[in-house]
Amino acid sequence: MNSLRIPILKIGQALIASIQVSLHDASAMQFKDDLLDRIHATHARAVIIDLTALDVVDSFIGRMIADLAVMARLMGTEVILTGLQPAVAVTLVELGLELPNVHTALNLEKGLALMELQGQEDTDVVAAE
Amino acid sequence: MLLQQSRDVIIRSDRDVVTARALARELATMLGFGPVDQARIATTVSELARNVIAYAGTGQVTLRSLDENQAVGIQIECRDQGPGIGDIAQALGDEAFRVNSVGRGLSGARRLMDEFELQSEVGVGTTVICRKWHTERMKNKK
Repeated sequence: MNSLRIPILKIGQALIASIQVSLHDASAMQFKDDLLDRIHATHARAVIIDLTALDVVDSFIGRMIADLAVMARLMGTEVILTGLQPAVAVTLVELGLELPNVHTALNLEKGLALMELQGQEDTDVVAAE
Repeated sequence: MLLQQSRDVIIRSDRDVVTARALARELATMLGFGPVDQARIATTVSELARNVIAYAGTGQVTLRSLDENQAVGIQIECRDQGPGIGDIAQALGDEAFRVNSVGRGLSGARRLMDEFELQSEVGVGTTVICRKWHTERMKNKK
């Protein structure tokens, strides 16, 4: 059975994935594996996952994102979630999934700006050393 | 008043979870629930249906519109003939939420709903019935 693949785009030092459809479990796990592979292959500095189109994030998807953020960080890459709908934010908190290791931004544009900002901080640290 | 609405979804694979979730949202929208409640309802169905896949393998979700004392709501019934839950208090506890990877959905679902009943017998199966009431229409009643 073919699972649906989420396209992962590379722009500069960022990987960008936009989840447009309601994910079933197999495609969610496929997405996590694909994204980790792409981080490794591209040495991306940040991964931006845009959830603007998702109207449900249940504990399974929430946990997948939380795990992904921890795994990406172990590899030296930050995960930025963008475009979370208000209803999704409410249900995530009520479910008790607050995604502590994940950066967030209101939309994709602000997510990219956040990544730039973090990049500058990294450069400052290197310069100071 | 709206006609009584009822939907059944047989849960056999993770794809059926997506179908059940979509039907729940559709019914919630039809009943006039706002976006946040729609998300709560769809998420609850997702959690319960996923537990069926994880623990029982197969089961059934029945969605029904409620119209009692002029209050409108939705009922989600999730039934399986799986192994059952030995320790319900533990399955519903926040501790289970943190420790166990899949069972956490149950305590989450309970928080998203207004009413939540769980019946389970080891070796026989598990039935969860939960309801969400439409707050706007409840207020109109008063």
